Amino acid sequence: MMDFRENTFRLSSDRNFGKAALMVGFVGLAGCIAGFAIDRDHFFFSYLTAYAFWLTIGLGGLFFTMLHHLTNATWSVVLRRFSENVMMVLLFLAILFIPIIAGIGNLYHWSHHEIVAGDPVLKEKSLYLNTGFFIIRAVIYVGIWLFLARGLYKTSLAQDKGYAESQTERMKKLSAPGMLLFAFTVTFAAFDWLMSLDAHWYSTAFGVYIFSGSLLSALAFITLVTILLRQKGYLADLITLEHYHDLGKLLFAFTVFWGYIAFAQYFLIWYANIPEETIWYRVRWLGYRPLTLLIVFGHFVIPFVVLISRGAKRNLTVMKIMAVWLLFMHWVDLYWVVMPSHSDRPLVGLWIDIAAMLGIGGLTLWFFWRRMASQPLVPVNDPRLTASAQLISD
Amino acid sequence: MRMAKKETKMQVILAQFDGAEALLDAARGVRDAGYRKFDCHSPYPIHGMNSAMGVTRSYLGFIVGTVAAIGLLGAFYMQYWMSAVDYKVIISGKPFNSFQAFLPVVFALTVLLSAFAAFIGSMMLNRLPRHNHPLFSSANFERVTDDGFFISVESGDPKYELKKTRELLQSLGGVNVEVLET
Amino acid sequence: MNIKAPDAPNKSEQPLIAGNLTFHDVTEKISGVVESGTPRLWYALISITGLLSLMFFIMLGHLFFTGIGIWGLQIPVGWGFDITNFVFWVGIGHAGTLISAILFLLRQRWRTSINRFAEAMTIFAVICAGIFPAIHVGRPWLLFYVFPVPNQMSIWPNFRSPLLWDFFAVGTYFTCSLLFWYLGMVPDLATIRNRAKNRIKKIIYGIFALGWRGGNRQWRHYELAYLLLAGISTPLVLSVHSVVSTDFSVSILPGWHSTIFPPYFVAGAIFSGFAMVLTLAIIARKVFKLDNYITLNHLDKMNKIILVTGLMVSYSYVVEFFMAWYSGNLYERFTFWSRATGPYAWAFWIMFFCNVVVPQIFWSKRFRAHIAVMFVASILINVGMWFERYVIIVSSLSQDFLPSSWQYFKPTIYDIGMLIGSFGIFLTLFLLFVRFLPMVAMSEVKAVLPQANVHHQGPEAIELETGNVRG
Repeated sequence: MMDFRENTFRLSSDRNFGKAALMVGFVGLAGCIAGFAIDRDHFFFSYLTAYAFWLTIGLGGLFFTMLHHLTNATWSVVLRRFSENVMMVLLFLAILFIPIIAGIGNLYHWSHHEIVAGDPVLKEKSLYLNTGFFIIRAVIYVGIWLFLARGLYKTSLAQDKGYAESQTERMKKLSAPGMLLFAFTVTFAAFDWLMSLDAHWYSTAFGVYIFSGSLLSALAFITLVTILLRQKGYLADLITLEHYHDLGKLLFAFTVFWGYIAFAQYFLIWYANIPEETIWYRVRWLGYRPLTLLIVFGHFVIPFVVLISRGAKRNLTVMKIMAVWLLFMHWVDLYWVVMPSHSDRPLVGLWIDIAAMLGIGGLTLWFFWRRMASQPLVPVNDPRLTASAQLISD
Repeated sequence: MRMAKKETKMQVILAQFDGAEALLDAARGVRDAGYRKFDCHSPYPIHGMNSAMGVTRSYLGFIVGTVAAIGLLGAFYMQYWMSAVDYKVIISGKPFNSFQAFLPVVFALTVLLSAFAAFIGSMMLNRLPRHNHPLFSSANFERVTDDGFFISVESGDPKYELKKTRELLQSLGGVNVEVLET
Repeated sequence: MNIKAPDAPNKSEQPLIAGNLTFHDVTEKISGVVESGTPRLWYALISITGLLSLMFFIMLGHLFFTGIGIWGLQIPVGWGFDITNFVFWVGIGHAGTLISAILFLLRQRWRTSINRFAEAMTIFAVICAGIFPAIHVGRPWLLFYVFPVPNQMSIWPNFRSPLLWDFFAVGTYFTCSLLFWYLGMVPDLATIRNRAKNRIKKIIYGIFALGWRGGNRQWRHYELAYLLLAGISTPLVLSVHSVVSTDFSVSILPGWHSTIFPPYFVAGAIFSGFAMVLTLAIIARKVFKLDNYITLNHLDKMNKIILVTGLMVSYSYVVEFFMAWYSGNLYERFTFWSRATGPYAWAFWIMFFCNVVVPQIFWSKRFRAHIAVMFVASILINVGMWFERYVIIVSSLSQDFLPSSWQYFKPTIYDIGMLIGSFGIFLTLFLLFVRFLPMVAMSEVKAVLPQANVHHQGPEAIELETGNVRG
């Protein structure tokens, strides 16, 4: 029987990583400020891309946590605290949404009255696409996410102090309607923040598309963090090869799911060939062809081929590389969604994109790391923790 | 006592065991005694039996993977050849080689061929159908699909010796030991 | 033989199979249904369903001689009950594959009690589904044109047509489901073979049992084949209804052309399929006294899946309606507004009530365990899902871009008769199945009984830790 006291599974007090992340974050922020001064429009698009990247990881963590509670899963108990910490970055990212509000005028052409006045389609939509309502909706989305994340996290930490059956029940009770709220908020946030960059274009699957990338990147992030900690000697006997095998299966499954949704969306638009819809892909094919091909192969074909084999899922080096690769591809995917609304060619002003990624990423990781260090790395009082550690995957 | 080499007649020693755990232990015993041509029969697959018996994981996956790859390429080539080479017809202004539109059929045929490979492959690896096995002459063995756990050792095994093998099975806890022939 | 005392792996969880059964109890109970005399009720039921099937075939004969004009089809509504029934039945099938394949991959061991007859349901539903597109072509004797076979015109099938994809997808789906179902049944057929008293029975079941001996050298290939079939059935089941959805969504018709259609159709299919499994499971449980096998726990889980997929369907409705408005497209907006308020509003609100409102009762734990409530709900959901396809197909077609050709679709007696008749065929096949084949997967149920749990102790334990050798 393993000993799960509260103090057993903690990161050591050395917080070098957190400090390093914070430093990187500040360097990135400095770059952002320079970018803002030099090319304001581009800065906001870079910022939105980077923000969407880290936000979707946090949202994926929220989803995975709720899924864990709802399915009563045993195998993922050892991963629960990781996924909870991932979801808690939403707390921090809520603040980082403010620059996007400041940049509405630069990002969204529907926010300019003179453009809307001359555009009958936008005029039809102005009831929904207007600055005031946009901000109100954003507050609602973020509010719901914070409510869910905080509620789940608080109960989870209370469990570390002492187990009670009611805690498990409460987390389940919160997760069930939470899923529903999550589905709608993520969908509409995707519509508002990303799809409306091209306000004429619409796709009903767009919310599911963003969600699929979100969960995939969150899983990749959790895989990466646990493997890195394992290399430092943490939790090697709790998060075993069997868990990585299962994580690998999930990465594989959601690679396929992402590919399925991405292909379905493209395919139906390609086939029906309606000009106002195909333009979205046409722009991305004419100017962004290398990126489009990179996404097809890098986001789907390569992870599919690699992760299909059992050996790869049980090989931590391969898993680590795939996790990094999938996170990178997730960023490329979002870049590919966002940037064509700003420039005809990719990789213009790439340094601002990188600065924004480092800025938001560094600060987010610092925040994430502080969470990790302040609590045990696993839910020490979860009655299924031992069973989870003894998982046998097939 | 007889040394079985290449005989037309096959002989099998069958012993019954008391439950899955006993069968696992006995399987290890038979494995450690150096036998290769033996099998453990149970009403349901038992976890850990492969390593207890010293057999490898099934390589059916490679068969299915190969067939799937053939199906994938074959299905694509078929559609390409029919639509863009042999008889071109313009349909809804789409290119002759509309590879996007071929994917649903590519996928379906890949899956179809893989399913056949998995089914037929497993049957071939299992040497089924086979209705004339010596084991079927044992009335007791009918319980294998109900609640019986058995080990059978075939005369084709180099270490097979009627008396010794029987004693081994008995020493491992086997009861109702029978010698069966076709 | 003495079976070791049950040693539950995890005492906090409810056992999957109730009643502390031994392996032998399982064999007796499930094989008993096949071996014992035919209940009178069975004869009564099969006479009814047989008559309904007969009605179907008579109408089919009339259709062949007269043409599809006997249905209520009128341009612009070229697809009516026929394609509605097709999509409905294919959808029903999906739950079977979900239970047998996806839940298997997810290690949801509770599936073992229901997977066999859910798979059977899949196969019969796909048979019913396949009939409709085959006869809706008008000249079914020319159906072989869908096969890429050389013919005197030396022309090939149109691989750019979703209708052709349908043929390949549904054909593959049927074949894979059949193989999966049959492979899973081989050990159980061997059980019935070994127990058969009657020689003819022994030979017939024996032939189909393929000489199964239950040896581990067979199990290891068998298990991997099962796993692989589950692995390939999982994307297959997602693809089939996605392909079915492309019949509509690749078009430019408002209300049909929507990118969420593939996942939305899949969710709807699983939703209706689970409702059908639930209906059949409740009946089978009652009639054959399978309470220990299909426990309230199983029903609770199925109801949860119904709730989840029901919410996915509701989500799609919301997103579709929103997007119709958001598109700013006049035709899109009209189509959706008309669905809710126009000539087909009655169908729309039946659909809305059955698919959105009814599953909400399953938020309550009490209703998830209430047999009568869930029975009624499962039937309502199936009604709702039939109407969903009806609303999508008929309302969009009857009011398309050209108002002068708008036409209200009125079904004829043949439309309704063939819909009911297809239920007759489905239920007849199902009754034959429960009578002659083991309706619960015995070998799988035995593997989830507590006494089947083997504690790893020997050298394997170490091998397992290092992950080198897998049992």
